[in-house]
Amino acid sequence: MSERAAGSIFDLGYRRYEGRRLGRRDAVLALYVHGLRASFGLGRRTRSKIFPIGLAIVAAVPAVVQIMIASLGAEGLDIFRAEDYYFYIEIILVLFVAVIAPELLGRDERHATLSLYFSRGLSRSEYAWARYGAMATALLALTLLPQAIMFLGNALVGDSFTGYFKDEWRQIGPIVAAGVLISLFLASIGLIIAAQTPRRAFATVGILAPFLLLTFISSALVSNIDNIVGRLGIFLNPLAVMDGFTRWLFNAESDGGPLMEAAFAGGWYFAFALALATIAVALLLRHYQRRSL
Amino acid sequence: MPLIETRALTKQYPGVMALNALDISVEPGVIGLVGANGAGKSTLIKILLGLLPPTRGTASVLDMDVRTEGRAIRDLVGYMPEHDCLPPDLSATEFVAHLAQVSGLPRVAARERTAETLRHVGLYEERYREMGGYSTGMKQRVKLAQALVHDPQLIFLDEPTNGLDPAGRDEMLDLVKRTGREFGIAVLMSSHLLGEIERVCDSLVVIDGGKLVRSGEVAEFTATLGSLEVEVEGDAAALAAALIERGFEARGEGFVAHVGLNGDDPYDAIRDCIVAMEMGLVRLEQRRQSLEDIFRPESAEAVRERV
Repeated sequence: MSERAAGSIFDLGYRRYEGRRLGRRDAVLALYVHGLRASFGLGRRTRSKIFPIGLAIVAAVPAVVQIMIASLGAEGLDIFRAEDYYFYIEIILVLFVAVIAPELLGRDERHATLSLYFSRGLSRSEYAWARYGAMATALLALTLLPQAIMFLGNALVGDSFTGYFKDEWRQIGPIVAAGVLISLFLASIGLIIAAQTPRRAFATVGILAPFLLLTFISSALVSNIDNIVGRLGIFLNPLAVMDGFTRWLFNAESDGGPLMEAAFAGGWYFAFALALATIAVALLLRHYQRRSL
Repeated sequence: MPLIETRALTKQYPGVMALNALDISVEPGVIGLVGANGAGKSTLIKILLGLLPPTRGTASVLDMDVRTEGRAIRDLVGYMPEHDCLPPDLSATEFVAHLAQVSGLPRVAARERTAETLRHVGLYEERYREMGGYSTGMKQRVKLAQALVHDPQLIFLDEPTNGLDPAGRDEMLDLVKRTGREFGIAVLMSSHLLGEIERVCDSLVVIDGGKLVRSGEVAEFTATLGSLEVEVEGDAAALAAALIERGFEARGEGFVAHVGLNGDDPYDAIRDCIVAMEMGLVRLEQRRQSLEDIFRPESAEAVRERV
């Protein structure tokens, strides 16, 4: 008898949950945060952290180099300027997308976790948006963070912090706009490709190959065919488009290469990138809407 | 209000009729969904979850239409899929807490509920380890826990004993039973094994080739064929003879008599006979025929004859 009584004290039995239940927004936010953490391997083994965090560090190397040079007192010597930055790290950005996008979408397919998400209140579009948001935010660590380091670093090592700020604050708008747009643009392309296969290796190659191949095809078209068709070839290369709208946002001229040969007004690249990202996201939403379980 | 109700529910895949004009109405409790592999069990569960649109007909769960209120239904139910669905590089705690948050629980509450639910399904220290190293039994427990963590009103369990060894099977069935009885959560459990359903379920839906074969309470299925086992201190054969005289089916041997439950309630008669014959009653136990016997008519007949 006393034994049973003791047992019932320790085993409280099943208790119904009477607490607060949050709305959809919090559920989507939870999925978004989980995805963002997963992007950098946080809460996972060390192995999952190496690539994303390593790439994020590499992406910041030019910024650090620039600050070091500036700190040596070479006044006005800007090796890496904000508007060129993405051009230098574009391959890092592509690699990051190729590693992270399959991680974000392919895992749920591979381990069939998708059915656990979709059997909850979460809608399919919400799932896709949460994943897209996580991917784009993760990319900000590679696009905005180095720029922020470089801007603050340049300001701190210079003669006058406020002076640098006064001269250069107009850069902040384009830096943020370009960083955000590049992240949204690359994330949309990476995810729609990654959604096509649960296999990580296929997805990674599927993202890398078009980026690299299209660079060659596009520059070959632009340099060799001297008419509008050839010039339009520039839009085949997402990285050139990226460079194009970045320079447009910074109001900077392109300094040679296919971008100058193609000679389109920068606004076209901006519009094209927006359109492409919109289409990619729409396809992503449709993909999950139609996904049978 | 029935827990689940379907009217002429039909699901047509290209070339295959997965569900064929299914009419089901079940009350809350532990419900067994029985059918051979490919009978349409998983399809039915997915339709009830609002994950698959039916081709024709209607279905409602907790009085909500699966076509239009799928989301509201999914908020109130839990689902344990048949297949493996756990990422191997996460711990059970982390994964279940994450899913609890996706179900709308605040972060702290999600952690608390996760610890509680994992304890309920019998996962203790292992819950901090990566799930890749779990045994099938442990994985099934985590799958059950994620279906329960947000405290649903109803859970759908698709073949919860799949791949388990006999001991693991017993434990899982026990958990399912407790979920229904002690936790007060309605359960719809699919299985291709009648024996399992019989052990844990109150009611039963049998489908075959997408068609409803039978549906009703488990007791209803078995009661008509049941018998009472009466152990006495005295001559059981004499007791049986006395009962036969009163119009019951009975048979006695040694100290044990079997009394058929087909006719009128025999309990009073047994008591009266035992008192009249001045015997001691040791044990009175209801013997149910197993569902497998019912669905194998020839053997059911054999059992009836033995009584």
